[in-house]
Amino acid sequence: MTDELSVVGKRMKRTDSLAKVTGEALYTADLKLPRMLHAKVLRSPHAHARILNIDAGKALRLPGVKAVVTAADGHGINWGVFKYTQDHPMMAIDRVRYIGEDVAGVAAVDEETALEALDLIEVDYEPLPAVFDPFEAMKEGAPLIHEQYARNINVHVHIDVGDIEEGFAKAYLVKEDTFDAAGEAYSTLEPYAVVAHYHSGYLDLWMPNASAHVRAKALSNLLKLPLNKVRVRHINVGGHFGSRSEVSPGDFVTALLSMKTGRPVKLLLTREENATCTRQVHAINATIKTGVNRDGTITAKQFKVIYDGGAYSSTGPIATSIPYYVYEEAYRLPNVRYDGYRVITNKGIRGMYGCHGRAFLAGNEMQMDTIARELGMDPMEIRLKNGLTAGEQTATGSVIRSGGLEEPIRRAAEKSGWKDIKEDRSLGKGKGMGCIAIMCGFPMGFRSGSACYVKVNDDGQVTVVTGVIDTGMGNESMVIQIAAEVLGVPVEDVNLVNADSEVTNLDPGAYSQAAAFVGANAVKRACEDAKSKILAFAADKLKHPAEDLDLKDRMVVSKTDPAKSVPMRFIVREAFFKGTPITGTGAFMPDIDFQREWVKNPYGQMAGTFSYGCSVAEVCVDRETGQIAVPRFTAAHDCGTPINPMAVEGQIEGSIHQAGMAVLMEETRWSDGHLLNPDLLEYKVPLACDMPHIETVIVCSNDPEGPFGAKEGGLTARMNSYSAVTCAVQSALGVPLTHLPLTPDRLLKAIGAGKTGGEK
Amino acid sequence: MILPRFAFHKASSIDEALALHKEFAGNALYLSGGTDLVPRIKLRLAKPEALIDLKGIKTLETVEQDDRWIRIGAMATISDLMKNPLVAEYVPVFQASLESTSCETLQMRGTIGGNLLQNTRCLFYNQSEFWRKSKGFCLKVGGEKCNAVPGAAVCLANYCSDNAAALLTVNAEINVAGPEGQRQLPLGDLFSGKAGRPFTLKPGEILTHVLIPKKKTRGGYEKLRLRGSVDYPLLGVALSSGNEAVRLAVGAVGPRPYVFDMAGWEEQSLHDVIAQAKATARPAPNTVVETAYRRDMIPIFIERLAKRLAGEAK
Repeated sequence: MTDELSVVGKRMKRTDSLAKVTGEALYTADLKLPRMLHAKVLRSPHAHARILNIDAGKALRLPGVKAVVTAADGHGINWGVFKYTQDHPMMAIDRVRYIGEDVAGVAAVDEETALEALDLIEVDYEPLPAVFDPFEAMKEGAPLIHEQYARNINVHVHIDVGDIEEGFAKAYLVKEDTFDAAGEAYSTLEPYAVVAHYHSGYLDLWMPNASAHVRAKALSNLLKLPLNKVRVRHINVGGHFGSRSEVSPGDFVTALLSMKTGRPVKLLLTREENATCTRQVHAINATIKTGVNRDGTITAKQFKVIYDGGAYSSTGPIATSIPYYVYEEAYRLPNVRYDGYRVITNKGIRGMYGCHGRAFLAGNEMQMDTIARELGMDPMEIRLKNGLTAGEQTATGSVIRSGGLEEPIRRAAEKSGWKDIKEDRSLGKGKGMGCIAIMCGFPMGFRSGSACYVKVNDDGQVTVVTGVIDTGMGNESMVIQIAAEVLGVPVEDVNLVNADSEVTNLDPGAYSQAAAFVGANAVKRACEDAKSKILAFAADKLKHPAEDLDLKDRMVVSKTDPAKSVPMRFIVREAFFKGTPITGTGAFMPDIDFQREWVKNPYGQMAGTFSYGCSVAEVCVDRETGQIAVPRFTAAHDCGTPINPMAVEGQIEGSIHQAGMAVLMEETRWSDGHLLNPDLLEYKVPLACDMPHIETVIVCSNDPEGPFGAKEGGLTARMNSYSAVTCAVQSALGVPLTHLPLTPDRLLKAIGAGKTGGEK
Repeated sequence: MILPRFAFHKASSIDEALALHKEFAGNALYLSGGTDLVPRIKLRLAKPEALIDLKGIKTLETVEQDDRWIRIGAMATISDLMKNPLVAEYVPVFQASLESTSCETLQMRGTIGGNLLQNTRCLFYNQSEFWRKSKGFCLKVGGEKCNAVPGAAVCLANYCSDNAAALLTVNAEINVAGPEGQRQLPLGDLFSGKAGRPFTLKPGEILTHVLIPKKKTRGGYEKLRLRGSVDYPLLGVALSSGNEAVRLAVGAVGPRPYVFDMAGWEEQSLHDVIAQAKATARPAPNTVVETAYRRDMIPIFIERLAKRLAGEAK
């Protein structure tokens, strides 16, 4: 299909790349506004304490300090993604619940003065007993961190489909295992930053975010400002991965300081603050029970999963659900019960993550391998047997509209030479396969859809206005390609105005892999709308039926008669003359069940479509040192159609890095409430030299509704590459692996425990 | 994290540097590449009134040789030394340790003098002032407790120079210039063995040169780390043999590198030195892997390195 296209489906340098690699692209920290002040935040040194008094008098008297704000400057409104999770005051009111929590903000003429002022703010704390482990936190008598969450259980997601008792009863083989994974850090290269500028009743803001509209709405609520007075503006974002999803305390503090001083204020978090005081990734403990028939068909699954949520809800209901959903979207589960518990602890807040759920997902896949081995099946065969196909429904009732697991599995197996990869325990060589499906979008109410405006300018060039945001994955380049394709112009003729809450219309943002399927669909429709107007004008001018006309190379051309053509700009100018300039609008709302709710009603259509992927890792384990080498990694991803194959490959490669190699080393380490590695030296993000040789395979299922058949581009590897690596290590060693990441010390323990029949 | 204010002076001679140090009454620190010191100042682990930059002292950048010594200026960068033919020819152990030091960009910045004088490290110590204050100050910053090992009477921070371990196996010496003149001492005497204050240098003294005996050696260095680059060692093992002696050094498992002489290459000597090394090392739970693991890797790393070198010799 892409053969007939000029721009879509072609390998091209992303439109944002040059500015980013040359350093020309501006990020929030680069912004300088006239009279701008600099902010710093006073943070809680206690994991849990009552605030008895805050005295900022001395700080305010320090020359150069222009304002101090505390919770008293706000409206006492708690933030929560859902009504039932509104528990985070953004600045502590009378209680702090983790080390690093925002207590007060200072704006001063420079950062040094602001820092000096922090030392002059006097806070009286009464320390309270704290709890750091979710299992301890759930015990009777544990310190209660929020009154409303009994036993500190913040969210309980309960899903029950079919009859698991019957499913297990009729199973030929039943396995139950518990897997544990440390939390992770997003490690965005851009530490969090905010610039707020309150003027003439308007609050303009720049910050790394995942949706200008969602951020503006949250701030309008928290600050009690009308939504049209809060404007989140476009700025480059240096990494997201889930970390920039929600309104941040920094937004609130900086906005208050700007409103109080009437001057622009900039807040830059340090790397340490970014790691400790912005939301990071859940540690997870997953108990997985699986029943299968003699032929490997899953008969029942039961899950109990504990998520260490830190001090506040964040995206809790979503984070407590997603690992399960991406699993049920991949495999046929006739009987299943899922109980996910997110538990509050006195640690930094945990949120959603692009690679979320490794204990659960890698655990399921490792267990599936153990089952396959006992049944004498190839790990690929058992996955093929249980993989969902197009037309089927997931356990909770989502119809799979395109793709399915089979094609990615077969293509990954073929590319990697799966059947021929030698497993040799004596040499520590193993291979592993990981599969997953990903929703393209999920229910976000009326924000689940996207709308786009396009105008064609008097020189025949195009301006596209869309809420689609690019947090690094290439969404901007993607929608430019789509507009160029539809309107028959080169990509350099398309200007993009995006991710600005004032100028653009609603869009689901970068939360749920919706940009290609939803946002780009709206862009395509808006461009088609403009195109139909151009063709109608041209039909009149050329005296030729519009149905036979098309746009190509900046020209209106006949599909059948090469003599019939006219430059597009002539038509556009004529439209101006007639008082009907060429504009287009387009919107797309995916077919989702809006009765669905994460906790109250977890059933119905989750997303408009799903992507599918399969990864294959080859490993070589040093049994004496526990060190793991990954010489080769293959990933097949069904993105429907690649808008830009090079960008899809880049996403897959990044995913292998962030999940596949990370599972060997990435973990947040704690000493009670203190994060021990809030830096990029001791938090081990894999380096270029640690990466395997990568083979990527793009599978094209051509989604019937996706723009040019497209679905999301690359996230499956983010949620299955750790499974491929852990399965490969398990196959290389022949011992169960229950603790992630697979650092060499953990691996030697697992080898030792394997000799004595399992790790305790 | 921003730097606090301090005075900055760039010295163009050793005498000038010493005079500046005197001027600030000891509340000044010497700066070379800054890859250890600048992050320490950002974390407020050091709060100097002034920094005295030694990079302007051109005589400290050179590598010279005479009949007895290869004489390396302390300001020579890791990267320059890696490319130096004398290093490759005479001290392969040093070549290997230089190559495994940090990463390419920092190798271009960091100097050998600064690398040897890097402070000891601990997950509970290399943290911001906010972090350390809220945790309660530890022994190394004058507090009353060890946060890594509750109840420990002394600081257990780790000395992490890859190159110190390597240079100790070839009997390197150092030149030091101070207010009271110059002195030459064995590299091993630089280390106090105390993690809190790891070096024996007197106030104001400058490490000016590293001297390596100009004798051909065979040797190698093996480093345990989680990633292929950047990381400090979790364990470093250096081994060299000259005409008569075989010498082993084990680093990053205590406040200084530990040096052991081996009787020879045979199995029994290896066995003995491994037992000694394992008994002497003092790894503590202050890194990202478990202490027992680091201890368990000592025999494996020594044995593998020894066998590799013995194999190369054949």
